[in-house]
Amino acid sequence: MKILNKVILVITLILTTNTFAQDYKFGKVSKEELLEKSYPLDSAANAVVLYENKKVHFAYINNQFQLVTDVFKRIKLYNKNGFDEASEQIYLYQGSNDREKVSGLKAMTYSLAGDEIIETKLKKDGIFESEYSEYYNEVKFTMPALQEGSVIEYKYKITSPYIRNIDKIYLQQDIPIKKIDIEVETPEYYNFKKYTRGYLPISLKESTKNNKLKGRRVEGSVYVIDYISNMYSINSSDIPAFKEEPYCGNLENYLSSIVFELQFTRFPNSGTKSYSSTWEDVAKSIYDNPRFGDELKKKNYFKEDIDQLITGINDPLKKTTLIFDFVKKKMTWNDKYRVVTSDGVKKAYKDAVGNSAEINLMLVAMLKYAKVNANPVLVSSNKRTISLFPTLEGFDYVIARVKSGNTTMYLDATDKYGEPNVLPDRVIHGSGRVLAENGTSQLVNFRPGKASRVQRSIMCQIDSGGVIKGKQSTSRSSYLAHSFRVRHGEKDKETQIKRIKERYELDDLNAYELKGVNELGKSVAERFEFTLENEAEVVDNEIFFSPLLFLRDKENIFKSEERKYPIDFGYGYANTMMVSIKIPEGYEVVEIPEGSAFKLPENMGKFVYRTNVIMGNTIQVSVTETLNAPFIPAEYYLTIKEFYNQIIQKESDQVVLKKV
Amino acid sequence: MQKTIQLILVAVFLCASIKISAQDNINLQSIIIDSTLTKDANAVVRSEEVLIEINSINSVRVKTKRIVTVLNKFGKGYADSFEWYSPSTKIKKLQATIYDGFGKEVKKYKKKDFSDRSVYDGISLMNDDRMKYFEYTPVDYPYTLVFESEVEKSSSAFIQSWKPVIGYRLSVEESSYKILNPTKIPLRSKETNFGGYAIGVNKLDSEISYSIKGVKAELPEVNSPSFYEIFPKAMLALENFALEGVEGSATDWKSFGKWRYDNLLVGRDQLPEETIQKINKLVSNVNTKEEKVKLIYEYVQNKTRYISIQLGIGGWVPFPASDVDRLGYGDCKALTNYTKALLSTQGIQSYYTVVYGDRNKEDIDFDFASMQGNHIILNVPNEEEDIWLECTNQTLPFNFIGDFTDNRNVLVLKPEGGEIKRTKKYGPEENILHTTATVNLTADKAMNATIRRKSKGLVYNWKYGIQFKTPKDQQLHYKEHWGYINNLEINSIKHGDDKDAIKFTEDLEVSCSSYTKKAGSRLLVAPNLFSCDQSNLPKYENRQTPLVISRGYINTDEYVINIPKEYAIGNLPEKKSIETEFGSYTYELEKINESQIKFKRFLKIIDGTFPKEKYEEYRKFRSEIKKIDKSKIVLKQQ
Repeated sequence: MKILNKVILVITLILTTNTFAQDYKFGKVSKEELLEKSYPLDSAANAVVLYENKKVHFAYINNQFQLVTDVFKRIKLYNKNGFDEASEQIYLYQGSNDREKVSGLKAMTYSLAGDEIIETKLKKDGIFESEYSEYYNEVKFTMPALQEGSVIEYKYKITSPYIRNIDKIYLQQDIPIKKIDIEVETPEYYNFKKYTRGYLPISLKESTKNNKLKGRRVEGSVYVIDYISNMYSINSSDIPAFKEEPYCGNLENYLSSIVFELQFTRFPNSGTKSYSSTWEDVAKSIYDNPRFGDELKKKNYFKEDIDQLITGINDPLKKTTLIFDFVKKKMTWNDKYRVVTSDGVKKAYKDAVGNSAEINLMLVAMLKYAKVNANPVLVSSNKRTISLFPTLEGFDYVIARVKSGNTTMYLDATDKYGEPNVLPDRVIHGSGRVLAENGTSQLVNFRPGKASRVQRSIMCQIDSGGVIKGKQSTSRSSYLAHSFRVRHGEKDKETQIKRIKERYELDDLNAYELKGVNELGKSVAERFEFTLENEAEVVDNEIFFSPLLFLRDKENIFKSEERKYPIDFGYGYANTMMVSIKIPEGYEVVEIPEGSAFKLPENMGKFVYRTNVIMGNTIQVSVTETLNAPFIPAEYYLTIKEFYNQIIQKESDQVVLKKV
Repeated sequence: MQKTIQLILVAVFLCASIKISAQDNINLQSIIIDSTLTKDANAVVRSEEVLIEINSINSVRVKTKRIVTVLNKFGKGYADSFEWYSPSTKIKKLQATIYDGFGKEVKKYKKKDFSDRSVYDGISLMNDDRMKYFEYTPVDYPYTLVFESEVEKSSSAFIQSWKPVIGYRLSVEESSYKILNPTKIPLRSKETNFGGYAIGVNKLDSEISYSIKGVKAELPEVNSPSFYEIFPKAMLALENFALEGVEGSATDWKSFGKWRYDNLLVGRDQLPEETIQKINKLVSNVNTKEEKVKLIYEYVQNKTRYISIQLGIGGWVPFPASDVDRLGYGDCKALTNYTKALLSTQGIQSYYTVVYGDRNKEDIDFDFASMQGNHIILNVPNEEEDIWLECTNQTLPFNFIGDFTDNRNVLVLKPEGGEIKRTKKYGPEENILHTTATVNLTADKAMNATIRRKSKGLVYNWKYGIQFKTPKDQQLHYKEHWGYINNLEINSIKHGDDKDAIKFTEDLEVSCSSYTKKAGSRLLVAPNLFSCDQSNLPKYENRQTPLVISRGYINTDEYVINIPKEYAIGNLPEKKSIETEFGSYTYELEKINESQIKFKRFLKIIDGTFPKEKYEEYRKFRSEIKKIDKSKIVLKQQ
């Protein structure tokens, strides 16, 4: 967890902004901008945002505040691959009696023809509006008359009655941003909490400003009220493009952005209404939410079933196991990530289908009913940005925690293959917070401290023609068993065989057996017999092969030269391989790879390779590859990459057999 | 008069629909399905009844009742039922009911319970199709879905085909299809892949019906024919029809093409005078037709980009050339029509051509005229060989359609009518990858090499996109391409794209700190560094489908390998050659001098369709190549 915090902690630096004499008003595109052939700071960029300006403010319209967002963008398209940036989509929320609207859309394409700037205006025929879904309308447009080197500009305004929801503001994109100005202005009546994300420094400036609002009373008289607005601004430049990297976990955690979440409102002549500000407030607001707190209190719908289930059982751990298995078996998750219920626990129970809140709140309620010390745990799943500040916004999922004596168990009953403390990927790649009703809270890192084990072994013999025949067996436990169950648990035998044949490039595979898929808590075991014709090479009187045969790692998952974000494996692993190879009569072992061992710093992992020849005719190799740290900071990237390089290299070392 | 007829019609249809629902006694208890149908199946179509009523060319009603039993979670997709609608297609009835394995009703979705959203086709910026669908979370398997819908269409140009089998791992207990054509509008039909299936066919002037029973689930196989070439399919078309309000009639491709040309194409080619002047100037210095077409094609490539917008009849009619000229974008129809218009300013005749665009080839049926195809290209007749232009791509060379529309039947729309032509085939001799390299090996196991790869034909198509990636992604591309070389470093990348010759050149410098292996005094070297066959063809106990090699090619390699001076070249293995009907292969090592080896490899794969028995031979051929490709030689320390 320490590492995680260190990585996510945002360092605030003050950027020195280079100001060029550039005009960022709509229509003031310069010849220099049109002439530029590539982006000096990133020659690979196909397009770049020359300037983005986003202003969010509250306007007092028809006696109420509305949230107004003004967007202005100027984008340079260096070549055709950048033309994708010339289409924009705006999603507008549509509630039951009000909706968000877009207005003032104005857009222009600028291109050079010789020395002259040609302007082509976006007309109606390039703007499309549609009903995207029940809750969203969509406005799309695409810019006319693009040429390589064109600059486009567009601006529009979104007016929203949903003043509590200021959309997340992105400060980084998949193309570079040359300059960006963000301004958010909130009236004193609304207090927002800000939190930022990403590895880029963000400097947020705060100030205040005097404002006036005008309204009209019911009887017709006009009123004017002075108020203070809080101003937040971010002015940043030369922001590099955001690039995805493998094993990142949730990318949103690394993409620079800022979120404003409503903390409380305080209007003149009325009290403070809190939304969230301390963890106690967050706890209060979630427990006060009828779709969370009240749902936890309902018992009648399951009472009978649970009474019957735990009759005569006193041990809380036994009760926990029974109830957990009961919910897992009965309920099916509808793939929806939620912190609160949608149709309610009762209906979910009846239908046997529910979202993450319905299933796990039901589980907590049943456990509490059975007098087990259980609490809900709010989770930022792998899809949600982790929240370090007290806010509800950071959570999108719920699981359960049970405490009994020294035992702490995390349970997620949405996962049919779930076990206590073996959680699905969507949870382990996120983080959680236990919230008790009294407001006490505690941050939780789900990544297990212990590495999950996989053991592979081969017993085989090689003949003088280089053909190898033998048996292989694999046993996976804990998270590795879970991952196997989730990915392959429901596939038929033929599909399993096909998978192994493809993975190990085997033509001949027999006597395949798979055990333990449905016996949670136990390991998953696979075994099969094989014949390998292409593994060993016979050259003159000698036979060459890598003694790990098809088990050896062949390709490094990390190929980039550098990395900016941490590596998130979710859980550590310990991979053991034992191979025993009987050599043909009349041959001797003339070369065998030497033993070897190496380690990663800070006990993050190690590799041990041992060889042995028994009775002159049997080669034995044992390999242990351990990666203890599930989460590795980016500064260790090259070390990790080299670790795998060394492993692959060592595992390809050859045995040489020679005819006597 | 009119009214009575309608009344009679209504009565007739009532009977028909009663009859249909009278077959309702299918057993919804899915735990008792015949095991021949559950073998290899993820889902079973218990029964499907499609009834199409052609009331007039402006009114077609489609009634569907489909009962699907889902056996496991992988079969869920076969029960995901939905209907599309648009301004010309209205949903009249929609209902889905779920039953558990014992046949007990679990859940019912009425029309209002369905969700509604716009159809995102993955390409279009905008289209006006919408869909109604429902989301069901299965609680247990097996379960059975009974789906019923009724849709009213004002377009009759498309008559839904009969495709009783829509996927692999899906069996069909029974499926039937009936078209009622009371007004006897001439109705044409064509059946394909009916052989080997027991299919009931009944054809009258006023009615056509098909039915099938007991189709076992099939598993997909690699290198097999396309799905549509394997499973039964009946295509139907009316001789008089309407498309989004545009009426037409056709009996064959000639008349169909004529209709489409006259109604959906002609008169959309006006261009501003300024543009015509520009084109006149552009081609003023060249003489041949081909040169002119090339300049105009490149002009279009420079000026436009692909944006798909499909609204109403706009799904079938290109928007005017003058719009493309002004906006600089359009879909395949618009961009092809624009190019056609530009060519005609120079008196060059070209034809708008309907095609199925996909890497998996699909033909426009050569003798069954109906609305087919999903893409438009341009055909320019030329003395020796026709020119084919893909107008939606800004980077492809002139007259190079690549594997998206190559070697297939297409419908060419001429003013006098439609005509089926075949697009260019890229034969094995044209699809060339030639790799040369100079490789230096050192005694400390390291390797560095200078590589040059030249690609032509479809290989050009498969490779030229690398140049548009960022330097970082280019590096990753090569590292992944040669993933079998651990810790490969890509030190320098240079690309040459000769669009006139359609030749792509890659100049690379690579290195690796531990390419060779030491075993005592031996140094093990795999001389084939850069062309190891990566295919991994499965072995089938009982192959069902013919072997299809869709495209042939030739790969040649020639490396000079400098070996470390501390080591000596021993006996080099003999030249290895394999000759098969699928192609040929040679692997050859030659000692140039005491410190240099020459490596030569030749692989030719011939395209074609071979009987299913041949698959195993082909697999062995590739497997043998793979083994030889990665073989090592032994250098001895001296």
